[in-house]
Amino acid sequence: MQAAESPLSCKDVDGLLPLFLDGELDARQMRAVALHGSRCLECENEIRSLERLHVLIKSTVEEQLEAVDFSHFWNDLSAKLPPKRLSWATRLRSRWGDAEGFRFNPYVGLAAAAAAAALGFLLLNTPTTPTVQPAAQQVASQEDPASIDSLSSDVSSVAVVNDPETSTAVLWVSDDTVVDDGANR
Amino acid sequence: MTWLALTVASAVVAFVTSGAIAQDAVGPLGVVPDTVEIRIGAVIASNTGTDFDPRLVALRHQFNALFQYTSYQLLKEERQRVAWGGRAGFDIPGGRYVVVVPREYKNERVSMKVMVIEGTRPIIDTVLSLRDHATLLVGGPRQRDGVLILSIGADTPRVQP
Repeated sequence: MQAAESPLSCKDVDGLLPLFLDGELDARQMRAVALHGSRCLECENEIRSLERLHVLIKSTVEEQLEAVDFSHFWNDLSAKLPPKRLSWATRLRSRWGDAEGFRFNPYVGLAAAAAAAALGFLLLNTPTTPTVQPAAQQVASQEDPASIDSLSSDVSSVAVVNDPETSTAVLWVSDDTVVDDGANR
Repeated sequence: MTWLALTVASAVVAFVTSGAIAQDAVGPLGVVPDTVEIRIGAVIASNTGTDFDPRLVALRHQFNALFQYTSYQLLKEERQRVAWGGRAGFDIPGGRYVVVVPREYKNERVSMKVMVIEGTRPIIDTVLSLRDHATLLVGGPRQRDGVLILSIGADTPRVQP
């Protein structure tokens, strides 16, 4: 049995808008804000306005980043370094270079590059976004049409089916509550 | 002797290159699309009759492969183009409501939050990554003499770099 929800006021909606626009509200609040917006022109305009602002900020930041010229970055940086200070690489090179009988093996360099590539791939592929629902089922395969990060429901059970052949994912809920859409009346 | 410098440089280049490959946060043609089109279809599936709504021809293969209903009728179909982080809301006949919030495009997949709400209770509240142009079917809720199946898709435009 669920408690009846009182409709949100414009003030309530105003406080929830940032989370609403980020999609971070829970389902009930999302629906409440969305429904309020569909019935209150002022709030709906506010939502639309914030959405446009969001898009504008994002596109502006992206444009600014694209405009930054990094081509001279390393040259400028190295020019600012103290001229007489030896880098660790130079010190290491001079030490190893003095070692008797040591010769450069190109395969060592290739192996180091491969190891660095593998390390970079692993590090950058490590997921950083925490799973919202600990009990959520992870359905992950590159071939699967959908991978589920989190899933919650008020119904008793939800089945997840991925069918790569038809490029379709199915969330099937077991729910016996019958809703009449009025089409039979 | 420049071997050490060469080794370090190649390692750095390989590291950065592998990172770029791993991230692959761009569209199929190398450009992140600005918007995404969310498409929603509400279908009543039942075993009453054998009518197949001709407007569902694009989903016929999926329905036949995944379900065993004999009749499929389209209740409503809608498309909304939204920016990343925007929301697409759909009213489904019968008092249900669907909210889709596309979040990002990565590895040719659209990450999005999908909520199907009935009255005051969430039937589905999920965050998932859907392959570009793939279809998510949310089904099971009883409606009329059959079940409701929602087809949800997210299509990104093919942007030229």
